[in-house]
This record gives sequence, structure tokens and C-alpha cells, in this order.
Amino acid sequence: MKKTLLSIMFILGSSLMLWAGGYQVRLQGNKNTGMGLTGVGLNLGSSSVFFNPGALAMMQQKADFSLGASMILSNVAFEKSGTDYRSETESKPGTPFYAYGAGKINDRWTVGLGVYTPFGSSTTWPDDWAGKLLIKNISLQAIFFQPTVAFKVTDKIGIGAGFVYATGKVSIERGLNYSPTSQVALEGSAGNIGFNAGVYFQATEKLAIGVDYRSKVMMEVSGGTATFTLPESLYNTLPEKNEFDAELPLPANLDIGLSFKASEKLTLALELNWVMWSAYDSLKFTFKEKGELLNSSNPRKYKDNFIPRIGASYLVNDKLCVRLGGYYDPTPTDEEYFTPETVSLNTAAFTFGLSYMPVKNLSIDISYLQTIGLQSERSYKPDQFSGYYKTSASIPGLGISYQF
Amino acid sequence: MKYRILFIALVFIGFWSCKPELNEFEAKKGSADFTTFVAGGNSLTAGFTDGALYKSAQEQSYVAILAKQFESVGRQGAFNIPMINSEDGVGTRGPALVTKMKMGFSTDCNGNTSLAPVMANPAVSQAELFQLLTTSVAATGPFHNLGVPGAKVTHLLAPGYGQLNPFYGRFMSSPTSSVVQELAATQPSFFTLWIGNNDVLGYAIGGGLGDVITPVEGAPGQGFAASYEAVVASFKQTATAGAVANIPDITSIPYFRTVPYNPVVFAEKDSLLINFINSQYAAYNAGMQSVGLPYRINFAVGANALVIEDNSMPIPEGVPIPKIRQMTNEELVLLSIPQDSLKCGGWGVAKAVPDQFILTQGEVANIKTAVSAFNQVIAYTAQTHNLALVDVNAFMQQAATGGVKFDGVTFTANFVTGNIFSTDGIHLTPQGNAVVANYFIDAINAKYNASVPKVVITDFSAVILP
Repeated sequence: MKKTLLSIMFILGSSLMLWAGGYQVRLQGNKNTGMGLTGVGLNLGSSSVFFNPGALAMMQQKADFSLGASMILSNVAFEKSGTDYRSETESKPGTPFYAYGAGKINDRWTVGLGVYTPFGSSTTWPDDWAGKLLIKNISLQAIFFQPTVAFKVTDKIGIGAGFVYATGKVSIERGLNYSPTSQVALEGSAGNIGFNAGVYFQATEKLAIGVDYRSKVMMEVSGGTATFTLPESLYNTLPEKNEFDAELPLPANLDIGLSFKASEKLTLALELNWVMWSAYDSLKFTFKEKGELLNSSNPRKYKDNFIPRIGASYLVNDKLCVRLGGYYDPTPTDEEYFTPETVSLNTAAFTFGLSYMPVKNLSIDISYLQTIGLQSERSYKPDQFSGYYKTSASIPGLGISYQF
Repeated sequence: MKYRILFIALVFIGFWSCKPELNEFEAKKGSADFTTFVAGGNSLTAGFTDGALYKSAQEQSYVAILAKQFESVGRQGAFNIPMINSEDGVGTRGPALVTKMKMGFSTDCNGNTSLAPVMANPAVSQAELFQLLTTSVAATGPFHNLGVPGAKVTHLLAPGYGQLNPFYGRFMSSPTSSVVQELAATQPSFFTLWIGNNDVLGYAIGGGLGDVITPVEGAPGQGFAASYEAVVASFKQTATAGAVANIPDITSIPYFRTVPYNPVVFAEKDSLLINFINSQYAAYNAGMQSVGLPYRINFAVGANALVIEDNSMPIPEGVPIPKIRQMTNEELVLLSIPQDSLKCGGWGVAKAVPDQFILTQGEVANIKTAVSAFNQVIAYTAQTHNLALVDVNAFMQQAATGGVKFDGVTFTANFVTGNIFSTDGIHLTPQGNAVVANYFIDAINAKYNASVPKVVITDFSAVILP
């Protein structure tokens, strides 16, 4: 009796899982953020470490440093299909940041270093919300360290590449149906390597073209801690403390973009990002103890998506530059495998920004991004959980850059 | 200066995050009138579960859930339930009265302790339970939940039924009234009816003994079809809309599917024991051969079918062979079988399991035939009276054959772990009630073009573990 009871109860058949929002975060340079997060065809200084190491070779200054952060103020509203039940996330603000430095060794070689956070998210649903068996809360942080070299092949062509070391942390809480307060809390850290390589081509005095590829980084959690909160009687069979392994792909990106200097003051940028989300097909958990009961494979079935972006900057005078931009980010999620851990809907956004240069060489870079809430009815079929989702995010950002 | 203002404005906008809102659902009553809702049925409707009728279960019956959901489509006033004022509750087990069961630890004859249903409060005396069961609450009526534990469809029409069944007696408005006569006091505009289970379950729980299946044909009060029609007609005197639910096949109820037909397992090392047991049945086997009957009792390494009593075996008069045989995999063992007798008392091996704990192939066939016939009557009546039909049978079949998921909860027909059925293996958990309520709402919405909001499954609990 006991054995049957437990073997059936512990098949965690579904979604123990992870981070939110098509969990890529491109807020890696406040000047870029103001211009619709374009950057691969632009040469805006040391943020090229992230956007296109090839452009670094064409840096005009001897050295460039920039530092900044954004605050993601986002909310998700939920209404369960066929009911008048509504809920919303209690998300704490996310704060992606970046720090870059780059300097020329000689006319041809430039070296740089970047520390930035291209993936991450946090979503906190109320503890007793209708989807608590899918996810209660989740938080992901990933930090990338990227030493980079760039080489000016000709006056018109620059190439560059960086080695990426990524380190990250994840924590997840998910309800279990053994009692109203039963749950599992998973915590782990992961690290892995990747690369970032790009080419920058100054086709004419006015037109530049860039291509950049950032590799997939597989974040492998090994020996993460799993803490089960269960009715006392179940601990005999299922340990309170356990260890788990899991892996989550941080997808590869191929970006193609161009910039056009329409006048001395006005620069336009166009870009297309191919995000290879299909790497995220399922999420698997392997537990050290009682794996036969606990291990699970949870379909996610992400698809690649293409994000078009547009941006513009206008130099008002030698102290002020203003920027505008926008993009459309179609969801990589599948309609029938949409989980509230990753509320990623089709999203349109507009951005604006400005740089204020109080003294020569120093720039204060402000940006603001507002997503336009689109709502959709989505379901996670393996758990028969469906509802309407609507998201909104406002993201102010602040940074400084210094060059000489 | 100009820039500073702009900067402040930007920061300000940054902290203003517009909160998204959703408002998709619109409650609609459609062509139904939910003003006064009255529910008819048996123990499932009463909120009886864990082997007893008790307070919090009454408050979470599927009809109590429905009553709450109907508020947004025009239901008025209180949904009055004949409450048992006790969380331990009262139920019957044979001639004795019992409290509800809960999950606890019990130690079997081999000294093994395991999780199992135990009495929630064994200290309550028979006198107290009798008092609880028989104290009239009629003065707090009239009632909107007319579910009566133990009631068959025929009973609902019987004047004075409360004198036979204390679960009705405790809230009957007069000693001579029938359950359907209670409707006069509430005049429902909308009703639900889930009845018919006991018309076959009484027979099934007795192992095919002691009770009879209600015949389909016969006058109101005797035959299923005419009684069902008469009960629905009683509701329809005032109600313009309603929903009726069909009944699940017993093979999807844990009470009949938890104990396997072949629980006697022998290993290679048990060969001496096996030989000894088989030697004891040598005379039986020889006897069967001599009268030309195919029955043989034989044990072997692996899982072995139980030896059971079967009085229907065609052994010729005067032949001194006991009417026992090994079970087939089409036959069912009831959850009421004493586990210790199976484990340590030699039941099913040295002694035949008494017939009352077994549904034989013939009995199973009788039950299946009846369930199917009753469900045809229910479907037909729903159609002729233009009522929503709730296919509970389909849901439970689906649960029994692979499971059904809602909101991340897996529902199966398994005992305790299946989330539908409570510790008694027959009645519903709060989560089971919530799912059934949602099936009612789906059927009602479809039939009457209404939008009654469904409930969130995880707001309710399954079997509580210690």
C-alpha cells in the first residue's frame, strides 16, 4: 500500500522550471538601449565588446570605458480560462548591468573586457495562486565575463572575438499537491564557456554593416540543492534534502545590422537578431536520490525567433545627444507549452534615451524602454493549465561612459 | 536647466510602471434562471466522504461549490445545507456508527507499519454518534441540498423514507414526507440531480449479496426509469433548467480496483510451500475432473489468484466438493476485505475468501449492464426534459485509464493517491468535488449558453496526509 502510494505520488510529471521572459536581456549598453537595443552595425565605443567585437577594432578613441545598469519594472497579469480568477506577479525589479573597457594597443589591435548580464529574470507569483503546481517563483542570474581582442584588417574591415565565461545562479519554488503547503525549492549554480565573434565593415563613409555571432552557452546545474517541504509521513520515502542536476541553454544569437549616417547629426540603425531558441526543447531534472520517482522531462518546445530593430540618434549639440528606437520581439514559446515560469508573449517596445556630456570625454547615458502590453490566451498542455496573460515592463537605465 | 527637468521627468517615468490588467471573463446566465438552486442526490451530493458526513466536507460538496459559482449568475440567498455540527462526523459501517477516517499509521499482523486510513476519532461513543445522526435539524430548513447518503432513485419518492434512513430523517420536514416533497418549500428555479449510484452500488458493495440492483422497468418507486422520470418531473414543477449527471462504472472506483485478484506472490524458494498447498487441493482437483468441471486450484511461483467462495458454481447435488475456486482477472476484490486475514489468516490460499468480499464475473456483468442501462435512462431523461447532461462516467473512465490533469493535478482512479477519491475509496475529495463541479459547469454553460465561472482546482485539497 505504502509503496504504491508513493510511487504514484512522486512522479513529478511536469514543469519544474525555470526562468522567465524568453529570458534573454539585451540591456547591455544604455546608448544602445535608447536606440531600440541596436548595436551590431554601430560603433558606440566599448559596448561593442557585447554587440560586435569587430566594431571594437574601428574604435576612434584610444580607450573607452562604460558602466551602467537598468531597472526592469515588470508585471504579469493572469486570468484563468473559464473562470473569474485573476492573479498577478509580485516581481521584484531586475537589475541587469554592464561594465566594459577597451583600449588600443596599436593602430591595428584593440583589447577589451566586458562583464555583463545577457540572461536573467525573476518572477514571483503569490504562494497560493492557481498555477502554484507549475511555478511559485523563479529567479535566474547569469553573468558573462568576456576578454576580447579586435583586429583592424583594413581601414574598412574590423574583426573581433571574445572568450565567454558564464556563471549563473538559479532558484525555483514549485508547489506539490500533497498538502496545501507542500513544495520543492531548487537552488543551484552553473558555469560554462562560449564565445562572441563579429565583423564590422565600413562600406562607405556613411554606411556600416555588422555581423555578430554569440554562441550558445549550456548552463549546467550540477549538485543543486533540492529541499522538499512535505507532510511528515512522506519523508520516510522522500528525503527532505536532495540534490539535482539540470541544464538550461542560453541560446546562440546571430545578429546582422547596419548603420547609416544620414547627416552629420543623425544616425539611423537597422538590425535583425536571429535568436536560436529551438535549443530549448525540454527541461530535464535528474535527482540524486529517488530519481526513479522524481526525475522529469518537461517539454518547452521553443522555436527560433527573429527580432527586427530600428533606432536613431541625433546630436543636438556638443553636450546633448537624443535617441529613439523600437523593436518587435515575437515569442519563442509554443502556444500549447507555455508555462507561467516564462511569461514571454509577443512584445513590441519603444525606447528613447539621451546622453549628456557635461565635460569633454564624459557622457551620462540615460535610457528608457517601455513594452506595449499584448495579451494572449496560452496553455501548458501537459498540466492542463490555461489562461490569459498580459505583460508590461518599464525599464529605466542609467550609465556613464568615459573616453580619451 | 532644461536638461535637468528632462532628466527628472525620465526618472519619474521610470518608476511609473503601468500595471497590466485583464478582464476577459464575463459571467452570463444564458437561458437558465439560477435564482433558486436546489440539489438532489445521494451521499456524493450530501458531501459525505471519508466514510462519514462531516462539516467541512458538506461545505465543499460539488453542489456547495456550484451554489457559490452560481452567485455571479443570479443565485439569491443562502444555500442551505442540513449541517452536521461535527468535524469528526458520522457514518455507518455495518450495524455500527463511526466517525470519518483520515490517513494515519496502522500496523498489520506482520508488524509492518504503513500509511493507511484510520478512524479520525475512535474515542467518540456509539451513543454520541447516534445522537449526532438522529438529532433533527429540520427547524433550520428548508434546505437546498437534498442529498441523502444511501438514497436510491426509488427512495427519493418514498413517503416516510426518513424513518428508514436517519440521514434523511435528521432533516425531513415531516415523518411522512418524501425527499421530493421537500421541494415545495424552496420552489427551485434551477436544479442538479446526481442519483442512481446506490441503485447498483448497494449490490456491488455487498459483493453481490444482501442488496438487489434496482430493475430498470417498473412503476415509480420500484423501477429505475419511471422513478428517475418522476424525480426529474418533481424538480421540473418549478425549475426551468437543470443538470443531471450519469453514474460511473464501478471499475473506475478505487473501492473495487485497489486489491488485485492475484495478490499471493511466491518466489522460487517457496517451492516446498507451494507443493504443500497444491497437495491440499489435489482431492479438489481430482473431484472436479471426475464430475467434468474445468475448475482447478493450482499455485505456482509468481502472482497467484485468490481462492474464493462462489455459491453459483454448478457442482452437481450431493457431490462433496466445496464451492470454491480461484479468481479470474475479470473479477474484483472489494476494499472492505480484511487485510490481516489476507496477509496472515491464510485467506485466498488455505481458506476461500467469503463471497461478500468478491464480485464474480457474473456479478460484474450484472453491474455493468445496470450501469449502462441506468446511464441510458439518465441521458434519455436529460434529452426529453432539455437538461444539461454531465458525463461523470466518461471523466472517471478517463481517470481510470491513464489519468486526467487539471491545473497540474493528476486525477486517477487510484486509492488515496488518485486525488479524486477519499479514504473510503468511493466518495470524493474536495479536489474531486471541484473537478465534478467544473464538469457540471461545462455542461450547464454549453446547454444554456451561459458563462458560469469554473473553480480553481488548487483551491481545494486532496487526501490530507499526516
